[in-house]
Amino acid sequence: MREASTMTTHQLLNPQDHGHLRVSSRKAPEPHFVQIVPSEFVGAAISCPILFSKDPATGAFYAGAVLALKPGERALKSTEERGGFEPLSLQRDGFFISGERIAIDRANPRFSETEGEPLFDEGQQPGTALRRIQRVLGQLHEGIEQTAVLVRELMSLKLLEPIDVSFSFDDGERLQLEGLYTVSRDSLRELDDANALRLFRNGHLQLAYTIAGSLNQLAILAHLRNRRLAGDR
Amino acid sequence: MVQAVKRIVIVGGGTAGWLTAGVIAAKHRSRIPASFSVTLVESPTTPIIGVGEGTWPTLRSTLARIGVSETELFRQCDAAFKQGAWFARWTTGASDDGYYHPLMLPQSFNQINLVPHWLARNDGRSFCDAVCPQGRICDDGLAPKTIATAEYEAVANYSYHFDAGKFAPFLQRHCCEKLGVRHVLADVKRVHLTDNGDIRSLETEPAGEIEGDLFIDCTGFKALLIGETLGVPFIDCNDILFCDTALAVQVPYETESSRIASHTISTAQSAGWIWDIGLPTRRGVGHVFSSRHISVDAAERELRDYIGPAGKDLPVRRISIRSGHRQIFWKRNCVAVGMSAGFLEPLESSAIVLVEMSAKLIAEQMPVCREVMDVIAARFNNTTEYRWGRIIDFLKLHYALTQRDDTDFWRDNRRPETIPERLQHLLLLWRYQSPWYHDEFDRIEEVFPAASYQYVLYGMGFRTELEPEIVAGSASAAERAMRENAAQIDKLRTGLPRHRDLIRKIVQHGLQPV
Repeated sequence: MREASTMTTHQLLNPQDHGHLRVSSRKAPEPHFVQIVPSEFVGAAISCPILFSKDPATGAFYAGAVLALKPGERALKSTEERGGFEPLSLQRDGFFISGERIAIDRANPRFSETEGEPLFDEGQQPGTALRRIQRVLGQLHEGIEQTAVLVRELMSLKLLEPIDVSFSFDDGERLQLEGLYTVSRDSLRELDDANALRLFRNGHLQLAYTIAGSLNQLAILAHLRNRRLAGDR
Repeated sequence: MVQAVKRIVIVGGGTAGWLTAGVIAAKHRSRIPASFSVTLVESPTTPIIGVGEGTWPTLRSTLARIGVSETELFRQCDAAFKQGAWFARWTTGASDDGYYHPLMLPQSFNQINLVPHWLARNDGRSFCDAVCPQGRICDDGLAPKTIATAEYEAVANYSYHFDAGKFAPFLQRHCCEKLGVRHVLADVKRVHLTDNGDIRSLETEPAGEIEGDLFIDCTGFKALLIGETLGVPFIDCNDILFCDTALAVQVPYETESSRIASHTISTAQSAGWIWDIGLPTRRGVGHVFSSRHISVDAAERELRDYIGPAGKDLPVRRISIRSGHRQIFWKRNCVAVGMSAGFLEPLESSAIVLVEMSAKLIAEQMPVCREVMDVIAARFNNTTEYRWGRIIDFLKLHYALTQRDDTDFWRDNRRPETIPERLQHLLLLWRYQSPWYHDEFDRIEEVFPAASYQYVLYGMGFRTELEPEIVAGSASAAERAMRENAAQIDKLRTGLPRHRDLIRKIVQHGLQPV
């Protein structure tokens, strides 16, 4: 997971310094591609394509949900249209794990002393909003590990393959998405019985088919983008 | 009854031996061990020469086919990227004289020959920079890919420099552990022939008698089977290529973050040239020269002058070079691969690529039975002789095009009687048309493609007459290709990491297989 580089505004969260701090929903626009973890795959796949990409700093694979087809464009579906799917890594915006503790990016506009829910209650204990964030961070932390295990297995069975995604839109624009990978359905079918059974038992087979099946969402997003270009939305 | 060919015996455990074993075993993997075996006999007492030199991009597909990981190549063999060669002082000998022979093809090479258009422009830009981004990438010390590029895939075409002393053991582990190659550590004491003159078996100490159906001689300069046993003569070419001695030295970097060149640097001297190859751990530097034109002491002085204070007390290793090749390479049931087949000065890194091509040809054409072997041997000899000839031509091209006349070495090199007739004809031809997809490059696997000839010819100031109509006819396509090249230069210079940084990341994180 790539952390924001503005370390200077990062502070370890504590009730002494942040007793009056409040948090509201995130303000920044949603990026077009968001990292997600295996526990989110099923929820994401009903509305978004799930693809793998590589961390430019290490080359390591991570899974992500496609929210828009072009960098800088707003998401093609609202959270509601996505069946309520909101990626954990967006939910935790502004919060980070630092060792055993939580740090916040004080410069993130979702923090203020006047708006939103208080982070701590009167007894200096984490409030509802902060407890929710704690769970989100915990799930993400675990999910990153699960992703690494999943990727190792998919790689060792040669199930990951690069995918060329290109679109021609009604306004004549051609768009090519590069550096993306998916699970190969052909390779899945060629799995031998022992591996297929093992993947089924450890849950990776379902994840693999969820990823492969979510590709259909690309066409739906392209359709929505054409409608947006036509001024419908 | 036909005599099946099932037992392949390779003699020699250097780069040639293990590369050949890997290529053959990978190709015939499904038959091993039931109906096919590859045995490599390596002398525990003979040291590997392992001068080490550059490679060609073909090695990427060869290694991928053998099934080794590129990440492990970097981790275990101190590998670095090579994107071509910079030839300094070859044309005029002046201090600012130099040109690149990059590994990328000129822009849109399959559609258009940019040479006439570049000549017509005559705007002072080098041919390399006008048609290809790789020279600029090398100038900047950048890598040819990123950590997110899959193993063996390239953003800019590349091959490797590596520590040859580590490469052979690296291949050996893979061949023995993954490909089922049998490794026998023993000295060959005698070679037994059959009545018809084939090799029947090797008598080894201490492994006893080893029989085989096809023997591959990778014994280096010794040429134990093809030369000593079967008596195939060696054809010298020191009347064309004069260099016969090399002095090699390993130079440490000043600091751990010193820049690593991502190309070979070849600097012409008074009677030869100096190679300079950057590995992550050290530089390999050596002087290849003609002992008929300069004394070894004087050659060593030129080498130490080149290295400067950093090389003051470094030990220098002397290696004799015998330029030339066997008259034939496959005789009866024995085929020579590597230095037993021949050797040429490492000016264009042709040794390992020739090993790859020979091994691939043997693996693909593997005779089913002894009865068909002579037919395949004749074809192999024909192809391989052609390749040696073309490499000699291409190496000589670098000398034939020089304008230097400061020493006898360069003056002798320009004398027409030292230039092969075929090359003389080509040089005449190229005065009126530039090399591209003409008949000269009709073989499917040319060692050096037409693009290589373009880079050397026009890097060294060669001029081809222009047909104005031809230039005008494709001017807009050429304009577009050169514009695309300029755009690609900007894109790659901002997008590629520094060479040393990428190597560090590969060692730390690894490249992904896809």
